[in-house]
Amino acid sequence: MNSKSPSSALPGVPGLVAVFTGLFAIAVFIIDTVTPLDIAVAVLYVVVVLLAAQYFSRRNVLIVALGCMALTLLSYALTHEPEIDEAAGRCLVSIAAIGATTFLALKNQSANVVLSEQARLLDLTHDTVFVRDMNDVITYWNSGAEQLYGWSRYDAIGRVTRQLLKTVFPTPLQEITAELLRTGRWEGELVHTKRDGNTVTVSSRWSLRQDERGQPIGTLETNNDITEGKRSQDALDRAQTELAHINRVVTLGELTASIAHEVNQPLTGIVTSSGACLRLLDHGSLDLTELREALQSIINDAMRASEVVQRIRALSKKTDPQKAALDVSDIISDAIRLLQRELSDHHASVHLELTPTLPQVIGDRIQLQQVMINLVMNGLEAMADVIERPRRIVIRSSQTEPDRVLVEIQDAGRGVEPQNLDRLFNAFFSTKPNGMGMGLSICRSIVQAHGGKIWASSNPDGGTTFRLTLLCAVDAHG
Amino acid sequence: MTMATEHQKSLVLVIDDDPSVRNGLTLLFRSVGFETRAFGSAQEFLQSTLPDVPSCLVLDVRLPGQSGLDFQAELVTRIPIIFMTGHGDIPMTVRAMKGGAVDFLAKPFRDQDMLDAVATAIERDRKRRASEKILSDLRALFETLSPRECEVMALVSSGLMNKQIAAELNLAEITVKIHRGRIMKKMHARSVADLVKMAEALGVRRTNQK
Repeated sequence: MNSKSPSSALPGVPGLVAVFTGLFAIAVFIIDTVTPLDIAVAVLYVVVVLLAAQYFSRRNVLIVALGCMALTLLSYALTHEPEIDEAAGRCLVSIAAIGATTFLALKNQSANVVLSEQARLLDLTHDTVFVRDMNDVITYWNSGAEQLYGWSRYDAIGRVTRQLLKTVFPTPLQEITAELLRTGRWEGELVHTKRDGNTVTVSSRWSLRQDERGQPIGTLETNNDITEGKRSQDALDRAQTELAHINRVVTLGELTASIAHEVNQPLTGIVTSSGACLRLLDHGSLDLTELREALQSIINDAMRASEVVQRIRALSKKTDPQKAALDVSDIISDAIRLLQRELSDHHASVHLELTPTLPQVIGDRIQLQQVMINLVMNGLEAMADVIERPRRIVIRSSQTEPDRVLVEIQDAGRGVEPQNLDRLFNAFFSTKPNGMGMGLSICRSIVQAHGGKIWASSNPDGGTTFRLTLLCAVDAHG
Repeated sequence: MTMATEHQKSLVLVIDDDPSVRNGLTLLFRSVGFETRAFGSAQEFLQSTLPDVPSCLVLDVRLPGQSGLDFQAELVTRIPIIFMTGHGDIPMTVRAMKGGAVDFLAKPFRDQDMLDAVATAIERDRKRRASEKILSDLRALFETLSPRECEVMALVSSGLMNKQIAAELNLAEITVKIHRGRIMKKMHARSVADLVKMAEALGVRRTNQK
């Protein structure tokens, strides 16, 4: 399994070392015993212990060390009388040296074992782990990284990370580095390019490694492949965007009368004003002030018609949501303008109670307009068979929490059964005979995607009130 | 020139919630010499006092808050109406025409079409006013007749001869003749045929009398 780890890169080494160590020990023993040198030849057993410590287990190292000590004593016994002399001192020095070496070698070995155990654990995890120094050069690369990216550790170590992986950062790298240096951590989503050219989205966690003096020496980066999750989330988002678009197109279809009216009003103004001008010119009875006023109103009407067309186009276009700071009052009045004819056809009226000084909210103009249109249309349909009281929709805006704007849309309709109030927002749930059950469900998914909430409650005097909250845009001092 | 002077005596009333439609129409009608009054809503119109001149009403079929058709039904005076709509639909047209609308123009309309429709409507109102005037004059004359003269007039117009009338009313034939002469004079009738027409217009019938 660890065939690539340096300690066992050559499988035959331990065997050879064992033989060599044995031969070396015998050689030391012979020299120590046979030659009449008055030096501590036995100190050379230290080499034997060190060699053993490099390749043998802890137990075997101890055996080797004890063996060396025994050989030292044996050699002394064979060549000297047992008395306190220089030779005995040399023997003791040798034994002490072997003992000390063994102790240090074993301690060092256990530290190495811990390190390689850790490395093995890092290899066992599916997470991608690598270490890079302050110059972004890779110094460690685990097998998870090898599997994810396709580069082996020999390919990767020594390369610059962001060049190798073509990293796409969510925010400028300087900001990320600043946060890392300040807090010692960073988390975020990165897009990397694998060896095969495919991209992968990872949830990345960085932790800064520092030396004893607190100087940053490198970064440990742990990456989790979230491409699949991201892909399904993206697919879900796309499906919701499409559904919202279909809902808008269907709604626009229902609003053709209103839209035609919205366009035809200014066109009527243009045609009649220009016709009038031509006639007055023919009579020679048009004064210049009057002409200027007429032309100005023709221009205004033309601009108005084109604005309507733009608004309709925007509503019918399929675009990804674009968040911006918006005025709730603008959104509401834009929606109402499109519904003017619908309201008069239903003999209904809208009463606005908007708070003028609300903070802006963050959101997609089109989608929020769609929510308002859906809710007002919903209210209109709820009041379709009401005859005993005015068909009135009241729209209120207010700020109930410091960071939220509340919008209320209250109808005077037949109301909703209490047990259905929560189910209203479920897809395909409808209390109307020909309702698709999509409008309110789309409202909810849009509001939730904006970080807000939507709920319905019954009015004490009949009808239903829909309430929704939207997050305020963060202003400069907020 | 004669048109212009006639127009000055007539009035076009516009009801539309959209100021640019109101302004455009006002300028258009002014360009051919019509007096114009424009209103933003039916309520505004009903609250105003209008001069007693030939006029017509130009209004959007979908007034805010109240449909133009309902408004048409509520109007007491039989003023001719030209409807405008942004999105013409057939049931509305039918209802409008049944309700006596002069015309039904889809916005945006050609300015000439609107002017023609207004001219027709004003003409219709002028005729209506003229015939109403004749009738009210006639009624005033009829008021001057004595009850007996009213009876005689009914019998004359039903085609009876003096002798028959005398028998019917138990009068001498000469008395009937005198009544008859007085009736002709009071009603400014030039002939018996003229008197018969008047009796018809006034709804004076033999069975109605007595």
